[in-house]
Amino acid sequence: MVTIEIVSGPLIPFPSDDTRKEDGAELIFNGRVRSTEHGKKITNLEYEQYEGMAETELNQIAEEAVRKFLIHDLFCKHRIGKVKVGEVSLHVVIWSKHRKEGLEAMTYFIAELKKRVPIWKWAILEDGTKVPSECTHG
Amino acid sequence: MIQVNIKCFSQVKYALEKDEIKLELEAGTTTVELEKIIREKASGKLDQVSLRVAINQKYVPNKTELKDGDEVVFIPPVQGG
Repeated sequence: MVTIEIVSGPLIPFPSDDTRKEDGAELIFNGRVRSTEHGKKITNLEYEQYEGMAETELNQIAEEAVRKFLIHDLFCKHRIGKVKVGEVSLHVVIWSKHRKEGLEAMTYFIAELKKRVPIWKWAILEDGTKVPSECTHG
Repeated sequence: MIQVNIKCFSQVKYALEKDEIKLELEAGTTTVELEKIIREKASGKLDQVSLRVAINQKYVPNKTELKDGDEVVFIPPVQGG
């Protein structure tokens, strides 16, 4: 099963699940905002999405990951709007029978997200200036 | 003539200083021709920026013919995560 949420405001993580009897691996990834962008100090990132297409693409990539790696579930939350330095902007949880397919699925999901999902970052510099982030690495 | 609605994000928004542009185009205009118009409007600010194109919320190949009422987005390198 796939669950995708694009959220503005604080991100509440998916709870750990002790009821799962067939999943030997529960992988959690949290992507956090760093304090510098290309050597410049920032206070926040501001995430912008192409509404509709961003969620559709996230769903599609998650479904691909489930099919390709035979994991059981992939849940993802991605924040939009201002995210302070240190806060979580991306939260992904994968449940799978063994760790190997879960780890491979996590790598695939995040790599494809960074290639295909129309979400962008604006850097808010310490003087309040807002500029498109130059960060495009995968 | 056809009318298309171009939504602007990230570096395209920054270069054009607009969230949205409506343009009237000759029937038969393709995405490649529209991209050229957009790059000219940006006066060089998008010269170093690679752009993919989406029509009505889906990525489309280059040289796709535009239709009346299309929503077009020129997508600079994405940065989710």
